[in-house]
Amino acid sequence: MALLEVKDLKMYYRTLRGQVKAVDCVSFEIEKGKALGIAGESGCGKSSMAITVLRLLPSNGHILGGEVRMDGLDLLSMSEEAFRKAIRWSRISMIFQGAMNALNPVHRVGNQIVEAILTHEDVSRQEAVERARRLLDMVGISPRRFNDYPHEFSGGMKQRAIIAMALACNPDLVIADEPTTALDVMVQAQVLRAIQDLREKLALSMMLITHDLSVIAQTCDDVAIMYAGKIVEYGTATEVYKKPLHPYSMGLVSAFPNIAAEKSPVRSVPGFPPNLVSPPEGCRFHPRCPLADDKCKTEEPASVEVGGNHHSVACHKVDVTAGGIDIWVQ
Amino acid sequence: MGFRTYLIRRIVYALIVLFVILTFNFAVFRLMPGDAEKMIIDPRFSPEARMALRKQFGLDDPPLVQYWKYITSLLRFDLGQSFATRRPVASELAERLPNTIVLFLTAFTLTMVIGTAVGVYAAQHRGTFAETFVTGAGLFTYAVPTFFFQLLLLMLFGYYIRIFPIHGTMSAPPPDGAFLRFLDRVHHLILPAGSNVIIGFGSWALYTRNTMLEALGQDYIITARAKGLPRREILYHHALRSVLPPIVTLIFLSLPGMVTGAVITETIFSWHGVGRYLMDAVLQQDYPAAQGAFYLIALAVIISNFMADLVYGLVDPRIRVGAGERR
Repeated sequence: MALLEVKDLKMYYRTLRGQVKAVDCVSFEIEKGKALGIAGESGCGKSSMAITVLRLLPSNGHILGGEVRMDGLDLLSMSEEAFRKAIRWSRISMIFQGAMNALNPVHRVGNQIVEAILTHEDVSRQEAVERARRLLDMVGISPRRFNDYPHEFSGGMKQRAIIAMALACNPDLVIADEPTTALDVMVQAQVLRAIQDLREKLALSMMLITHDLSVIAQTCDDVAIMYAGKIVEYGTATEVYKKPLHPYSMGLVSAFPNIAAEKSPVRSVPGFPPNLVSPPEGCRFHPRCPLADDKCKTEEPASVEVGGNHHSVACHKVDVTAGGIDIWVQ
Repeated sequence: MGFRTYLIRRIVYALIVLFVILTFNFAVFRLMPGDAEKMIIDPRFSPEARMALRKQFGLDDPPLVQYWKYITSLLRFDLGQSFATRRPVASELAERLPNTIVLFLTAFTLTMVIGTAVGVYAAQHRGTFAETFVTGAGLFTYAVPTFFFQLLLLMLFGYYIRIFPIHGTMSAPPPDGAFLRFLDRVHHLILPAGSNVIIGFGSWALYTRNTMLEALGQDYIITARAKGLPRREILYHHALRSVLPPIVTLIFLSLPGMVTGAVITETIFSWHGVGRYLMDAVLQQDYPAAQGAFYLIALAVIISNFMADLVYGLVDPRIRVGAGERR
């Protein structure tokens, strides 16, 4: 049984302009010790999915269907109090996007880690402080900085402190939401290395959300490509990266410059992500897809497995894309 | 810049402000119409007697000498002699100051505690009837003129329904026994302090509600929720604690306003305090008395501003490290 199983998950935001279908029938699994990367443009619903799993939705976010199971335990039907005590941080923790404001500016960094430990475990404050110091040390922050305030940390240190905090209660699953966004490239590399090291050392299971495919290629086993609230392609990271099957994934992969290859202009996927209040009929990607025909405009493609290895894609044109031609050449 | 430098700088600023206010205070009373002569010198006095009186009050000195005497004696808390009662202003003020402090501290503490609690409650129950009610009541009481509201209360509870005394700080003669005397004081305190609380809590609650709502939308609140902290912990330890710096600052910044508000409250409820003393002194053109009361109020304002700066430095770690180089 997979550690985390998400099945047909639907989460809509109620707004004045209508329902925003941020997460629409999303299914995936994370095996123990594996890392799943979720990639997609801004506003495709990837962060919404993360906060749905941890049930941290704002008051206008509603889960309309589907299942989230952890070791078979139904997370969506648990009472709020039970979920808070038994799941949040103790079993699923989260590394938040943007080191800027995820730490409370008026509390000492060390105490914010201690607080997480004391909430979930019956240990003395002293033990918690000891563990927090070790955790800081583990992510490369001197334990002497325990009593510093967040504003005394650099962006990269804050992000590493957040990683240390995420590991405080030995969670089974860590959700990282854009852990390297807003950091400069060198610091990004440091933070990614820290995440990778910890994954190997602690055999962490992870769900990593990013718009940066290279981050996923570096850290994840599997990848799910999300577009407009749906997963359009799913497979092992190497396979999706080497042989993407969905036109959107192909666009994402080729939008990523390869410094080893011959010089060529950086390409992008033309057009904009659709409005999720009234997403396009049929395949949600059809207005931007060079292969789209009448069927794509009316009929929603089901996800089909292609070539074993759990590589699946939701596209009517798999036979074309599997042919290996570059569909984004104009 | 360390905290010590910050402290010293604040003290110097406070002293400069004090000096400017004192100078202004000196000038204003000498530019206003009338002087001691009108008050105490009988037109039938002989010129010699007039001169003697003027000399007694130091009014025959040239302005600069008067100014020098004024500054040096103020620093010694020698506030001169009242034209009206011929008693030292300092001792008249000392007699009234405790009454003012009692009224002021009661009203202020209750306003603060009730206002903050109501504000937190409203933020917590966003979108419910309770929040709408708090917002409405807050705006209403904020908009009502204090003196009008106080006169209404006085008329209602002092005249039509006689459950509260209509004037004074205590009954004359006071009841026997320390406890009964205390109760008598509290009884006199309820209307003046209560009216201030009702008028004051609204803006306070609205401010707390707004800053709390802003804090509750911050990323670190999501972090706190994700960490599985209980609701109360998130509300008080994370949200309220992080908006404490502006709230505490506002507390101290609102002190001066409440000090000056005391003048009106004390006048309406005939409270034997500094505010009413100032009012009487101005009406009687009793300049030493008015100057003394002004001096005291100015001191209160300067000290509360100074404390606002200090406390802000203590509750907000980003300021504490030192304004400037680390940001």
